[in-house]
Amino acid sequence: MDSPRGLSPITYLHLAARNLVRNRRRTLITLLTMIFGIATLTLLSALNDGWLNQMKTNFILSYTGHLQIHAAGFEASQNLNDRIKEPEEVSRLMQSYGEIVGWTQRIRTSGLASVGGSSAGVQVMATDPEQETWVTSMDQRVTSGTWLRPGISHDLILGHTVAQNLGAELGDRIILMVQRLNGEMVSDVFFLRGILETGAPQIDRSLALISLNSAQQWLQMGDSVTDIVIRADIHEHTDALYRLFTQQLSEHKYEIMPWQELDPMVRQWLEFSDAYGFVILLVVIILVIIEILNTMLISLHERQKELGVIVAIGTTRIRIFLMLLLEAVMLIFIGAILGYLGGSLLVYSLADSGINLTRFANAFEFFYMDPVIHPQLTPDSAVKILSATLIAALLAGIYPAWRATHLSLSQALRIQ
Amino acid sequence: MGNNQDSSIIDLRNLHKCYWVGTMPFPALHGLNLEIAAGEFAVVAGRSGSGKSTLLNIVGALESADSGSVEVLGQDILGMNSDQRTQFRLRNIGFVFQAYNLVRVFTARENVAYVCQLQGKSRKESMEIANHWLHEVEIGHLGYRRPDQLSGGQQQRVAVARALASNPKLILADEPTANLDSTTGRRLIRLMHELNHRFGTTFLISSHDPDVKQAAGRLIKLADGQIVDSWDEVPEPPQSLSSSCPSSHLPLGERVRNYIKLKRQSRGGKRRGGNQRRS
Ligand SMILES: Nc1ncnc2c1ncn2[C@@H]1O[C@H](COP(=O)(O)OP(=O)(O)O)[C@@H](O)[C@H]1O
Ligand SMILES: [Mg+2]
Repeated sequence: MDSPRGLSPITYLHLAARNLVRNRRRTLITLLTMIFGIATLTLLSALNDGWLNQMKTNFILSYTGHLQIHAAGFEASQNLNDRIKEPEEVSRLMQSYGEIVGWTQRIRTSGLASVGGSSAGVQVMATDPEQETWVTSMDQRVTSGTWLRPGISHDLILGHTVAQNLGAELGDRIILMVQRLNGEMVSDVFFLRGILETGAPQIDRSLALISLNSAQQWLQMGDSVTDIVIRADIHEHTDALYRLFTQQLSEHKYEIMPWQELDPMVRQWLEFSDAYGFVILLVVIILVIIEILNTMLISLHERQKELGVIVAIGTTRIRIFLMLLLEAVMLIFIGAILGYLGGSLLVYSLADSGINLTRFANAFEFFYMDPVIHPQLTPDSAVKILSATLIAALLAGIYPAWRATHLSLSQALRIQ
Repeated sequence: MGNNQDSSIIDLRNLHKCYWVGTMPFPALHGLNLEIAAGEFAVVAGRSGSGKSTLLNIVGALESADSGSVEVLGQDILGMNSDQRTQFRLRNIGFVFQAYNLVRVFTARENVAYVCQLQGKSRKESMEIANHWLHEVEIGHLGYRRPDQLSGGQQQRVAVARALASNPKLILADEPTANLDSTTGRRLIRLMHELNHRFGTTFLISSHDPDVKQAAGRLIKLADGQIVDSWDEVPEPPQSLSSSCPSSHLPLGERVRNYIKLKRQSRGGKRRGGNQRRS
């Protein structure tokens, strides 16, 4: 608006800065309050993000991967007839995307496991023992015994709760019973080779894991599979991969599901945490707004006479408005940056050791949560925090600035 | 000093002004007529509350009047909106107030340069003009000081320099010596008088300081919001408050606000606004 002539933005900045320095103590107290608030906000959202990210990773690594491709309708029907008959059509796409770090093929069907006198319903899952290690960390979660051998074998790994319920021990003969495509019930003997503990209760109490080749032969399924499970290099690439596969594969033949859709519970948890993060943001921002409003209104009150004089000698209302707005924005800007830096320092100092919550709740042991939270700074939260404080600055600055433009000259100038 | 040419710089006719606190009217000016010629060094004298500030504020387009006509430099001020008034003040009028009227965070030089910058001059040019005027008021060497590093007399000199820097035709000074000791006050008045001589700038000064009155080219006596010829003359009181302060002059918003204020006060709240009345 102003050319290099006349009152330049530099003059405004100068004026705003000096007015802030003018009442050093008040500015300092306001800044400290803001720095504390925003640093806390930064740490809390870093904890939230770290916790969420750990939960996502645990969830994805324990079982589901980032993305699953099924034959259309399989997730709902869980019926072997809804299977991918030509996995080649999908698997040849895998090489083309650098975002994929691993993929595997699986067969899932329900069955019955019995040992000695006891039996239990299980989710029979077959996977390629080598490929699986690129997708999930199931092989590292084998707490006793060892991981599956590739090729055709009678190896079986059970979830540790199933094993417990059956009273099964390593090396035991276990009979699995499943239904073939044609409806015929078949059973075979497997040997318990390992016991798996993923930390996710619904998996640990139902999983019966065998090798893909054995299952294909046993169930007479040829090359076909029910799931193709993909792991992306980072969580954030899930959407991009989802879009790519949706473009490449016919939606009549295939259903493509990102991890959020595979477990509605997890999704709800994540949404809940997002909401929780939003509430923290809101609370801190409201506090910042109140603090700034208070400071600006007090300082406005003290400067009534001076503002009256400035207006009297020819400062337009819009200039008065901008002057005071700039002061508030400057104050919040400094507070936000220092606060964010302070918060970041806290985050970095806690990032490695993490915050250990084992003392507080055993609940952390399940549901993909880690008892030790490692706070994590994300660009997303930085943008959120900084833009929210900027909006707060505007909100908190506009009212006092507007008030200043409605100053009563007759009263302001008569103040002694 | 007062040359009676038709080049009158201020022309006030039948001016009325009331302040309202709640629904209580405080009459400040009633039926005031005044003409000031270009180049005059006029002093408005009168005791506290006689309406001096009100008069100067109306002439300076800082406040509006309830009725009457106000022509300053041939322009009808009452017809202007707030932004037009600001522009008018910036171009035509310099102000000196009683006390505390410099921007505290600016140096003396910046205080003076500020009006030039408002007028659209570059920072550099403004600073040069400021230096010039600070020299004129004999404090050229104090340009880098902040107001709190200056004495009261020096601060008022800065204010005079600032008033002159915008190159106005009219300078309004509301009790400029009230906060100064008498020697300093006298010197300030002498300075203003000199500037009036040299540059022909019209001065309208309010004061109840005898020294100031003595220096006046023309003395305007104000009592109870009216101009009187001698202090013995008692201005005839307005027939009734309601005739001198008809509430219809209040803008609607103000009337509503007053009503609410009064309600609050009658509910036992602290009396506000009324104690703004200064001496
Ligand atoms: N803002 C205001 N609210 C109410 N009354 C006011 C206000 N300003 C001035 N007055 C009243 O108007 C009258 C004139 O005031 P003023 O012009 O300030 O007198 P002076 O400058 O001569 O002391 C006084 O009675 C004063 O109390
Ligand atoms: Mg006064």
